[in-house]
Amino acid sequence: MDLAYLLIADAIALIIATIILTIYFLKDIIKEKKK
Amino acid sequence: MHLVDYSIIVLYFAILFVIGYYVKRKIKGLEDYFLAGRRLTLPIFVATLVSTWYGGILGVGEMSFSYGFVNWIINGFFWYFVYLFFALFLANKIKRSNLYTIPDQLERFYDNKSRFLGAIFNFIMVSPAPYILSLGIIFNFLFGLELWITLVLVAIVMIFYTIRGGFVGVVYTDVIQFVLMMVGFALIIPIAINTYGGFDFLQSSLSNPQLVFTYIDTTKHLTLTGTQTTQWILIWGFIAFWTLADPGFYQRCYAAKDDKIPKKGILISIGFWLLFDILTTFTGIYAIAAYQAGLLDVQSPLTSFLSISVALLPPVILGIFLTGLIATIMSTADSFTFLGAMNISHDLYKKIFRKKATDKQVIAVTKIGIIISVAFAVFLSLLFKSVVDMWYYIGSIGISAMIVPIIFGFFYKGKKSPMASILSMIFGSSTALIWVIHGFLNSSGGWPVYIEGIEPLYPGLLTSLLVFVIVNIIHTRRMK
Repeated sequence: MDLAYLLIADAIALIIATIILTIYFLKDIIKEKKK
Repeated sequence: MHLVDYSIIVLYFAILFVIGYYVKRKIKGLEDYFLAGRRLTLPIFVATLVSTWYGGILGVGEMSFSYGFVNWIINGFFWYFVYLFFALFLANKIKRSNLYTIPDQLERFYDNKSRFLGAIFNFIMVSPAPYILSLGIIFNFLFGLELWITLVLVAIVMIFYTIRGGFVGVVYTDVIQFVLMMVGFALIIPIAINTYGGFDFLQSSLSNPQLVFTYIDTTKHLTLTGTQTTQWILIWGFIAFWTLADPGFYQRCYAAKDDKIPKKGILISIGFWLLFDILTTFTGIYAIAAYQAGLLDVQSPLTSFLSISVALLPPVILGIFLTGLIATIMSTADSFTFLGAMNISHDLYKKIFRKKATDKQVIAVTKIGIIISVAFAVFLSLLFKSVVDMWYYIGSIGISAMIVPIIFGFFYKGKKSPMASILSMIFGSSTALIWVIHGFLNSSGGWPVYIEGIEPLYPGLLTSLLVFVIVNIIHTRRMK
Protein backbone atom coordinates (compact mmCIF):
# COMPACT_ATOMS: atom_id res chain seq x y z
CA MET A 1 0.00 0.00 0.00
CA ASP A 2 1.23 3.50 -0.79
CA LEU A 3 2.39 5.32 2.34
CA ALA A 4 0.48 8.33 1.06
CA TYR A 5 -2.80 6.71 2.14
CA LEU A 6 -1.54 6.55 5.72
CA LEU A 7 -0.62 10.22 5.61
CA ILE A 8 -4.07 11.15 4.30
CA ALA A 9 -5.66 8.99 7.04
CA ASP A 10 -3.48 10.84 9.57
CA ALA A 11 -4.68 14.22 8.25
CA ILE A 12 -8.33 13.13 8.35
CA ALA A 13 -7.97 11.73 11.89
CA LEU A 14 -6.39 14.99 13.03
CA ILE A 15 -9.24 17.07 11.58
CA ILE A 16 -11.90 14.81 13.14
CA ALA A 17 -10.16 14.88 16.54
CA THR A 18 -9.88 18.68 16.32
CA ILE A 19 -13.58 19.01 15.48
CA ILE A 20 -14.56 16.76 18.41
CA LEU A 21 -12.39 18.74 20.82
CA THR A 22 -13.83 22.03 19.54
CA ILE A 23 -17.39 20.75 20.02
CA TYR A 24 -16.63 19.81 23.64
CA PHE A 25 -15.02 23.21 24.16
CA LEU A 26 -18.10 25.03 22.81
CA LYS A 27 -20.38 22.84 24.95
CA ASP A 28 -18.39 23.87 28.03
CA ILE A 29 -18.67 27.53 27.08
CA ILE A 30 -22.46 27.27 26.61
CA LYS A 31 -22.77 25.45 29.95
CA GLU A 32 -20.75 28.17 31.68
CA LYS A 33 -22.89 30.93 30.09
CA LYS A 34 -26.11 29.24 31.27
CA LYS A 35 -24.80 29.35 34.84
CA MET B 1 0.30 35.61 -2.16
CA HIS B 2 -3.28 36.70 -2.75
CA LEU B 3 -4.98 39.60 -0.98
CA VAL B 4 -7.37 37.15 0.71
CA ASP B 5 -4.41 35.39 2.37
CA TYR B 6 -3.11 38.65 3.80
CA SER B 7 -6.65 39.39 5.02
CA ILE B 8 -6.81 36.04 6.88
CA ILE B 9 -3.56 36.85 8.70
CA VAL B 10 -4.81 40.35 9.59
CA LEU B 11 -8.16 38.90 10.73
CA TYR B 12 -6.31 36.47 13.01
CA PHE B 13 -4.44 39.29 14.74
CA ALA B 14 -7.68 41.27 15.04
CA ILE B 15 -9.33 38.28 16.77
CA LEU B 16 -6.42 38.10 19.25
CA PHE B 17 -6.97 41.78 20.08
CA VAL B 18 -10.72 41.27 20.52
CA ILE B 19 -10.22 38.24 22.82
CA GLY B 20 -7.66 40.16 24.85
CA TYR B 21 -10.14 43.01 25.16
CA TYR B 22 -13.16 40.96 26.21
CA VAL B 23 -11.75 38.28 28.51
CA LYS B 24 -10.70 40.98 30.96
CA ARG B 25 -14.28 40.78 32.29
CA LYS B 26 -13.61 37.24 33.48
CA ILE B 27 -10.77 38.38 35.75
CA LYS B 28 -11.87 39.11 39.28
CA GLY B 29 -8.75 38.34 41.29
CA LEU B 30 -5.17 37.11 41.27
CA GLU B 31 -6.09 33.45 40.81
CA ASP B 32 -8.14 34.37 37.72
CA TYR B 33 -5.28 36.41 36.28
CA PHE B 34 -2.59 33.77 36.98
CA LEU B 35 -4.43 30.49 36.50
CA ALA B 36 -7.81 31.30 34.91
CA GLY B 37 -9.40 30.70 38.32
CA ARG B 38 -8.17 27.03 38.25
CA ARG B 39 -11.16 26.28 36.02
CA LEU B 40 -9.54 24.77 32.88
CA THR B 41 -11.79 22.06 31.48
CA LEU B 42 -10.42 19.08 29.55
CA PRO B 43 -10.80 20.54 25.99
CA ILE B 44 -9.16 23.86 26.93
CA PHE B 45 -6.42 22.01 28.84
CA VAL B 46 -5.61 19.91 25.74
CA ALA B 47 -5.81 22.84 23.29
CA THR B 48 -3.57 25.10 25.38
CA LEU B 49 -1.04 22.35 26.21
CA VAL B 50 -0.74 21.06 22.63
CA SER B 51 -0.40 24.52 21.08
CA THR B 52 1.91 25.97 23.73
CA TRP B 53 4.28 23.06 23.48
CA TYR B 54 4.73 23.41 19.74
CA GLY B 55 6.47 26.74 19.23
CA GLY B 56 9.50 25.34 17.44
CA ILE B 57 7.72 24.76 14.17
CA LEU B 58 10.38 26.42 11.97
CA GLY B 59 13.04 24.25 13.64
CA VAL B 60 10.92 21.16 12.91
CA GLY B 61 10.78 22.30 9.26
CA GLU B 62 14.54 22.72 9.21
CA MET B 63 15.18 19.31 10.79
CA SER B 64 12.75 17.29 8.68
CA PHE B 65 14.04 19.05 5.54
CA SER B 66 17.69 18.47 6.46
CA TYR B 67 17.55 15.03 8.13
CA GLY B 68 14.28 13.41 7.03
CA PHE B 69 12.18 10.98 9.06
CA VAL B 70 14.65 10.92 11.98
CA ASN B 71 13.08 14.28 12.90
CA TRP B 72 10.06 12.33 14.12
CA ILE B 73 12.30 10.18 16.35
CA ILE B 74 14.15 13.14 17.92
CA ASN B 75 11.29 15.62 18.09
CA GLY B 76 8.44 13.18 18.64
CA PHE B 77 9.12 9.59 19.66
CA PHE B 78 11.45 10.28 22.64
CA TRP B 79 9.19 13.02 23.92
CA TYR B 80 6.08 10.79 24.02
CA PHE B 81 7.73 8.62 26.69
CA VAL B 82 8.61 11.63 28.83
CA TYR B 83 5.04 13.00 28.42
CA LEU B 84 3.71 9.60 29.44
CA PHE B 85 5.94 9.58 32.52
CA PHE B 86 4.76 13.10 33.34
CA ALA B 87 1.10 12.11 32.93
CA LEU B 88 1.37 8.92 35.01
CA PHE B 89 3.69 10.02 37.82
CA LEU B 90 3.79 13.82 38.05
CA ALA B 91 0.60 15.44 36.76
CA ASN B 92 -1.62 14.58 39.72
CA LYS B 93 1.06 15.39 42.28
CA ILE B 94 1.48 18.83 40.75
CA LYS B 95 -2.25 19.47 40.59
CA ARG B 96 -2.80 18.41 44.20
CA SER B 97 -0.01 20.69 45.45
CA ASN B 98 -2.27 23.61 44.44
CA LEU B 99 0.63 26.00 43.85
CA TYR B 100 1.40 28.49 41.05
CA THR B 101 4.90 27.89 39.65
CA ILE B 102 7.93 25.56 39.64
CA PRO B 103 9.84 27.82 42.09
CA ASP B 104 6.83 27.33 44.44
CA GLN B 105 7.58 23.60 44.31
CA LEU B 106 11.27 24.23 45.00
CA GLU B 107 10.38 26.21 48.13
CA ARG B 108 8.03 23.42 49.21
CA PHE B 109 10.81 20.82 48.79
CA TYR B 110 13.76 22.92 50.03
CA ASP B 111 13.72 26.61 51.02
CA ASN B 112 13.18 30.09 49.64
CA LYS B 113 16.77 30.42 48.44
CA SER B 114 16.07 27.50 46.08
CA ARG B 115 12.94 29.38 45.00
CA PHE B 116 15.02 32.46 44.24
CA LEU B 117 17.56 30.60 42.10
CA GLY B 118 14.82 28.50 40.48
CA ALA B 119 12.92 31.67 39.52
CA ILE B 120 15.97 33.10 37.78
CA PHE B 121 16.65 29.90 35.78
CA ASN B 122 12.95 29.61 35.05
CA PHE B 123 12.87 33.15 33.70
CA ILE B 124 15.71 32.32 31.30
CA MET B 125 14.11 29.00 30.24
CA VAL B 126 10.78 30.64 29.41
CA SER B 127 12.24 33.52 27.46
CA PRO B 128 10.01 33.84 24.37
CA ALA B 129 13.07 35.00 22.37
CA PRO B 130 13.30 31.98 20.00
CA TYR B 131 9.58 32.33 19.19
CA ILE B 132 9.59 36.09 18.73
CA LEU B 133 12.56 35.63 16.40
CA SER B 134 10.69 32.86 14.51
CA LEU B 135 7.76 35.23 13.96
CA GLY B 136 10.19 37.91 12.80
CA ILE B 137 11.64 35.45 10.25
CA ILE B 138 8.15 34.56 8.94
CA PHE B 139 7.08 38.20 8.50
CA ASN B 140 10.41 38.99 6.94
CA PHE B 141 9.83 36.13 4.44
CA LEU B 142 6.20 37.03 3.71
CA PHE B 143 6.26 40.83 3.70
CA GLY B 144 9.95 41.65 3.31
CA LEU B 145 9.81 43.80 6.45
CA GLU B 146 13.01 44.53 8.39
CA LEU B 147 13.58 42.11 11.25
CA TRP B 148 13.49 44.72 14.03
CA ILE B 149 10.20 46.18 12.74
CA THR B 150 8.50 42.75 12.77
CA LEU B 151 9.90 42.01 16.24
CA VAL B 152 8.45 45.25 17.60
CA LEU B 153 5.04 44.67 15.90
CA VAL B 154 4.75 41.14 17.29
CA ALA B 155 5.81 42.38 20.72
CA ILE B 156 3.06 45.04 20.77
CA VAL B 157 0.25 42.58 19.89
CA MET B 158 1.42 40.05 22.46
CA ILE B 159 1.93 42.59 25.22
CA PHE B 160 -1.59 43.94 24.67
CA TYR B 161 -3.55 40.72 25.01
CA THR B 162 -1.42 39.09 27.70
CA ILE B 163 -1.42 42.22 29.87
CA ARG B 164 -5.14 42.67 29.50
CA GLY B 165 -6.34 39.09 29.56
CA GLY B 166 -3.72 37.41 31.76
CA PHE B 167 -3.74 33.60 31.65
CA VAL B 168 -7.41 33.65 30.57
CA GLY B 169 -6.41 35.60 27.47
CA VAL B 170 -3.56 33.15 26.82
CA VAL B 171 -5.72 30.00 27.01
CA TYR B 172 -8.66 31.36 25.01
CA THR B 173 -6.39 32.52 22.19
CA ASP B 174 -4.66 29.11 22.42
CA VAL B 175 -7.92 27.34 21.49
CA ILE B 176 -8.15 29.28 18.21
CA GLN B 177 -4.44 28.85 17.58
CA PHE B 178 -4.72 25.11 18.24
CA VAL B 179 -7.48 24.70 15.61
CA LEU B 180 -5.55 26.76 13.05
CA MET B 181 -2.32 24.79 13.46
CA MET B 182 -4.05 21.40 13.21
CA VAL B 183 -6.15 22.35 10.16
CA GLY B 184 -3.20 24.04 8.41
CA PHE B 185 -0.99 20.93 8.41
CA ALA B 186 -3.89 18.55 7.77
CA LEU B 187 -4.58 20.48 4.54
CA ILE B 188 -1.06 20.76 3.12
CA ILE B 189 -0.18 17.03 3.09
CA PRO B 190 -3.08 15.83 0.84
CA ILE B 191 -2.35 18.73 -1.55
CA ALA B 192 1.38 17.83 -1.62
CA ILE B 193 0.51 14.19 -2.39
CA ASN B 194 -1.90 15.26 -5.12
CA THR B 195 0.63 17.67 -6.70
CA TYR B 196 3.91 15.77 -6.41
CA GLY B 197 2.84 12.13 -6.01
CA GLY B 198 2.86 9.47 -3.28
CA PHE B 199 5.66 7.44 -1.68
CA ASP B 200 7.14 6.55 -5.10
CA PHE B 201 7.82 10.23 -5.76
CA LEU B 202 9.57 10.63 -2.39
CA GLN B 203 11.67 7.50 -2.91
CA SER B 204 12.78 8.33 -6.43
CA SER B 205 13.53 11.98 -5.70
CA LEU B 206 15.35 11.39 -2.41
CA SER B 207 17.48 8.52 -3.73
CA ASN B 208 19.44 11.07 -5.84
CA PRO B 209 22.95 11.04 -4.26
CA GLN B 210 23.62 14.70 -5.12
CA LEU B 211 24.10 16.85 -1.97
CA VAL B 212 21.55 19.59 -1.25
CA PHE B 213 22.73 22.94 0.24
CA THR B 214 26.22 21.35 0.10
CA TYR B 215 25.68 19.30 3.30
CA ILE B 216 22.34 17.47 3.09
CA ASP B 217 22.48 13.85 1.93
CA THR B 218 18.90 12.84 1.17
CA THR B 219 19.51 9.18 0.33
CA LYS B 220 18.57 8.01 3.85
CA HIS B 221 15.80 10.55 4.51
CA LEU B 222 13.12 7.84 4.62
CA THR B 223 14.95 5.54 7.05
CA LEU B 224 14.41 5.59 10.83
CA THR B 225 17.80 7.01 11.77
CA GLY B 226 18.85 8.82 8.57
CA THR B 227 22.55 9.58 8.28
CA GLN B 228 22.83 10.41 11.98
CA THR B 229 24.95 8.62 14.59
CA THR B 230 23.34 6.89 17.59
CA GLN B 231 25.07 9.35 19.98
CA TRP B 232 23.55 12.34 18.16
CA ILE B 233 20.08 10.78 18.24
CA LEU B 234 20.36 9.86 21.95
CA ILE B 235 21.24 13.45 22.91
CA TRP B 236 17.73 14.39 21.83
CA GLY B 237 16.39 11.67 24.09
CA PHE B 238 18.02 13.57 26.97
CA ILE B 239 16.77 16.92 25.76
CA ALA B 240 13.22 15.48 25.97
CA PHE B 241 13.65 15.51 29.76
CA TRP B 242 13.10 19.25 29.45
CA THR B 243 9.40 18.36 29.81
CA LEU B 244 9.93 17.42 33.47
CA ALA B 245 10.95 21.01 34.26
CA ASP B 246 8.71 22.75 31.74
CA PRO B 247 6.84 25.63 33.41
CA GLY B 248 4.06 25.49 30.79
CA PHE B 249 3.17 21.90 31.76
CA TYR B 250 3.16 22.79 35.45
CA GLN B 251 1.07 25.92 35.00
CA ARG B 252 -1.61 24.03 33.07
CA CYS B 253 -1.71 21.25 35.68
CA TYR B 254 -2.20 23.84 38.45
CA ALA B 255 -4.93 25.55 36.43
CA ALA B 256 -6.97 22.38 35.71
CA LYS B 257 -10.51 22.24 37.07
CA ASP B 258 -10.13 18.90 38.85
CA ASP B 259 -7.52 16.26 39.74
CA LYS B 260 -8.28 13.95 36.82
CA ILE B 261 -7.90 16.50 34.01
CA PRO B 262 -4.05 16.83 33.93
CA LYS B 263 -3.40 13.09 33.47
CA LYS B 264 -6.25 12.59 31.00
CA GLY B 265 -5.39 15.81 29.18
CA ILE B 266 -1.72 14.92 28.67
CA LEU B 267 -2.66 11.44 27.38
CA ILE B 268 -5.07 12.97 24.83
CA SER B 269 -2.43 15.58 23.92
CA ILE B 270 0.07 12.80 23.11
CA GLY B 271 -2.43 11.57 20.49
CA PHE B 272 -2.63 15.05 18.91
CA TRP B 273 1.15 15.49 18.96
CA LEU B 274 1.63 12.08 17.35
CA LEU B 275 -0.72 12.83 14.44
CA PHE B 276 0.64 16.36 14.07
CA ASP B 277 4.34 15.39 14.26
CA ILE B 278 3.98 12.92 11.40
CA LEU B 279 2.35 15.56 9.19
CA THR B 280 4.98 18.22 9.96
CA THR B 281 7.81 15.73 9.37
CA PHE B 282 6.41 14.70 5.99
CA THR B 283 5.76 18.32 4.98
CA GLY B 284 9.50 18.90 5.42
CA ILE B 285 10.31 15.68 3.54
CA TYR B 286 8.02 16.71 0.67
CA ALA B 287 9.75 20.10 0.58
CA ILE B 288 13.21 18.59 0.15
CA ALA B 289 12.00 15.93 -2.29
CA ALA B 290 10.36 18.63 -4.45
CA TYR B 291 13.51 20.77 -4.15
CA GLN B 292 15.70 17.82 -5.16
CA ALA B 293 13.41 17.15 -8.14
CA GLY B 294 13.69 20.79 -9.26
CA LEU B 295 9.98 21.44 -8.59
CA LEU B 296 10.41 23.85 -5.68
CA ASP B 297 12.72 26.72 -4.76
CA VAL B 298 13.78 26.82 -1.10
CA GLN B 299 15.90 29.70 0.26
CA SER B 300 16.94 27.94 3.47
CA PRO B 301 15.96 24.78 5.39
CA LEU B 302 14.61 27.01 8.22
CA THR B 303 11.97 28.51 5.93
CA SER B 304 11.16 25.29 4.04
CA PHE B 305 7.55 25.19 5.35
CA LEU B 306 7.00 28.71 4.07
CA SER B 307 8.48 27.93 0.65
CA ILE B 308 6.44 24.77 0.09
CA SER B 309 3.18 26.39 1.25
CA VAL B 310 3.54 29.49 -0.94
CA ALA B 311 4.38 27.30 -3.96
CA LEU B 312 1.70 24.68 -3.39
CA LEU B 313 -1.42 26.05 -1.75
CA PRO B 314 -4.28 27.89 -3.44
CA PRO B 315 -5.58 31.21 -2.02
CA VAL B 316 -7.57 30.92 1.25
CA ILE B 317 -5.91 27.58 2.12
CA LEU B 318 -2.53 29.34 1.96
CA GLY B 319 -3.88 32.02 4.29
CA ILE B 320 -5.14 29.36 6.72
CA PHE B 321 -1.85 27.45 6.63
CA LEU B 322 0.31 30.53 7.17
CA THR B 323 -1.96 31.72 9.97
CA GLY B 324 -1.69 28.22 11.47
CA LEU B 325 2.10 28.49 11.30
CA ILE B 326 2.05 31.93 12.96
CA ALA B 327 -0.50 30.69 15.56
CA THR B 328 1.72 27.70 16.43
CA ILE B 329 4.51 30.09 17.38
CA MET B 330 2.34 32.83 18.92
CA SER B 331 0.69 30.38 21.33
CA THR B 332 4.10 29.46 22.75
CA ALA B 333 5.45 33.01 22.75
CA ASP B 334 2.49 34.41 24.71
CA SER B 335 2.46 31.58 27.27
CA PHE B 336 6.20 31.87 27.87
CA THR B 337 5.96 35.65 28.18
CA PHE B 338 3.30 35.25 30.85
CA LEU B 339 5.30 32.60 32.70
CA GLY B 340 8.36 34.86 32.76
CA ALA B 341 6.23 37.70 34.13
CA MET B 342 4.93 35.39 36.88
CA ASN B 343 8.52 34.59 37.86
CA ILE B 344 9.09 38.29 38.40
CA SER B 345 5.81 39.14 40.17
CA HIS B 346 4.90 35.98 42.06
CA ASP B 347 8.20 34.18 42.69
CA LEU B 348 10.44 37.18 43.32
CA TYR B 349 8.32 40.23 44.18
CA LYS B 350 5.56 38.61 46.25
CA LYS B 351 7.37 35.63 47.77
CA ILE B 352 10.78 37.15 48.45
CA PHE B 353 10.90 40.94 48.34
CA ARG B 354 7.43 42.06 49.41
CA LYS B 355 5.52 39.34 51.20
CA LYS B 356 2.67 41.64 52.19
CA ALA B 357 1.95 42.79 48.63
CA THR B 358 -1.75 42.93 47.75
CA ASP B 359 -3.25 41.06 44.79
CA LYS B 360 -3.62 44.36 42.95
CA GLN B 361 0.08 45.15 43.40
CA VAL B 362 1.08 41.64 42.22
CA ILE B 363 -1.06 41.99 39.09
CA ALA B 364 0.50 45.41 38.41
CA VAL B 365 4.01 43.94 38.75
CA THR B 366 3.00 41.04 36.45
CA LYS B 367 2.08 43.59 33.77
CA ILE B 368 5.48 45.23 34.14
CA GLY B 369 6.98 41.70 34.07
CA ILE B 370 5.29 41.03 30.69
CA ILE B 371 6.96 44.12 29.23
CA ILE B 372 10.35 43.15 30.75
CA SER B 373 10.04 39.57 29.44
CA VAL B 374 9.20 40.72 25.89
CA ALA B 375 11.87 43.44 25.88
CA PHE B 376 14.50 40.93 27.07
CA ALA B 377 13.35 38.53 24.31
CA VAL B 378 13.57 41.18 21.57
CA PHE B 379 17.09 42.05 22.80
CA LEU B 380 18.15 38.35 22.75
CA SER B 381 16.61 37.89 19.28
CA LEU B 382 18.58 40.80 17.85
CA LEU B 383 21.73 39.53 19.59
CA PHE B 384 21.63 35.85 18.58
CA LYS B 385 19.66 35.89 15.31
CA SER B 386 19.47 32.06 15.42
CA VAL B 387 16.44 30.21 16.77
CA VAL B 388 18.20 26.86 17.14
CA ASP B 389 21.22 28.38 18.94
CA MET B 390 18.97 30.04 21.53
CA TRP B 391 17.08 26.80 22.23
CA TYR B 392 20.26 24.88 22.51
CA TYR B 393 22.05 27.16 24.98
CA ILE B 394 18.98 28.10 27.03
CA GLY B 395 17.99 24.40 27.17
CA SER B 396 21.43 23.04 28.09
CA ILE B 397 21.98 25.53 30.92
CA GLY B 398 18.37 25.55 32.21
CA ILE B 399 17.91 21.76 32.23
CA SER B 400 21.30 21.26 33.94
CA ALA B 401 20.11 23.55 36.75
CA MET B 402 16.51 22.47 37.25
CA ILE B 403 15.90 18.77 36.53
CA VAL B 404 17.83 17.17 39.41
CA PRO B 405 16.35 19.22 42.32
CA ILE B 406 12.84 18.84 40.88
CA ILE B 407 13.03 15.08 40.37
CA PHE B 408 14.54 14.50 43.83
CA GLY B 409 11.92 16.82 45.30
CA PHE B 410 9.06 14.79 43.90
CA PHE B 411 10.40 11.26 44.21
CA TYR B 412 13.04 11.07 46.96
CA LYS B 413 11.27 10.25 50.19
CA GLY B 414 14.27 10.73 52.52
CA LYS B 415 15.47 13.95 54.09
CA LYS B 416 16.37 16.63 51.52
CA SER B 417 18.98 19.31 52.02
CA PRO B 418 18.30 22.86 50.73
CA MET B 419 22.07 23.26 50.35
CA ALA B 420 22.15 20.25 47.96
CA SER B 421 19.45 21.85 45.81
CA ILE B 422 21.17 25.25 45.61
CA LEU B 423 24.66 23.86 44.93
CA SER B 424 23.42 21.37 42.33
CA MET B 425 21.66 24.21 40.47
CA ILE B 426 24.75 26.44 40.60
CA PHE B 427 27.31 23.75 39.69
CA GLY B 428 25.12 22.01 37.08
CA SER B 429 24.37 25.20 35.15
CA SER B 430 27.92 26.59 35.52
CA THR B 431 29.41 23.36 34.15
CA ALA B 432 27.11 23.53 31.12
CA LEU B 433 27.94 27.23 30.65
CA ILE B 434 31.70 26.70 30.93
CA TRP B 435 31.42 23.78 28.48
CA VAL B 436 29.58 26.06 26.00
CA ILE B 437 32.15 28.88 26.39
CA HIS B 438 35.06 26.44 26.02
CA GLY B 439 33.41 25.06 22.87
CA PHE B 440 33.17 28.58 21.43
CA LEU B 441 36.75 29.49 22.29
CA ASN B 442 37.89 26.42 20.37
CA SER B 443 35.39 26.71 17.52
CA SER B 444 36.27 25.57 14.06
CA GLY B 445 34.60 27.00 10.96
CA GLY B 446 32.01 28.82 13.11
CA TRP B 447 30.94 25.61 14.91
CA PRO B 448 31.82 25.11 18.60
CA VAL B 449 34.13 22.17 19.31
CA TYR B 450 33.37 20.53 22.66
CA ILE B 451 35.78 18.52 24.82
CA GLU B 452 35.84 14.93 23.49
CA GLY B 453 32.87 15.94 21.31
CA ILE B 454 30.57 15.71 24.36
CA GLU B 455 27.57 18.07 24.30
CA PRO B 456 27.27 20.51 27.28
CA LEU B 457 24.04 18.95 28.58
CA TYR B 458 25.78 15.72 29.68
CA PRO B 459 28.48 17.21 31.96
CA GLY B 460 25.91 19.75 33.22
CA LEU B 461 23.41 17.07 34.26
CA LEU B 462 26.07 14.75 35.64
CA THR B 463 27.62 17.50 37.79
CA SER B 464 24.20 18.56 39.05
CA LEU B 465 23.38 14.95 40.01
CA LEU B 466 26.73 14.26 41.72
CA VAL B 467 26.71 17.53 43.65
CA PHE B 468 23.13 16.95 44.80
CA VAL B 469 23.76 13.38 45.99
CA ILE B 470 27.07 14.11 47.75
CA VAL B 471 25.95 17.35 49.44
CA ASN B 472 22.63 15.79 50.40
CA ILE B 473 24.37 12.85 52.14
CA ILE B 474 26.83 15.09 54.01
CA HIS B 475 24.43 17.89 54.87
CA THR B 476 21.46 15.77 55.99
CA ARG B 477 23.81 13.90 58.38
CA ARG B 478 24.84 17.24 59.87
CA MET B 479 21.20 18.38 60.00
CA LYS B 480 20.52 15.49 62.39
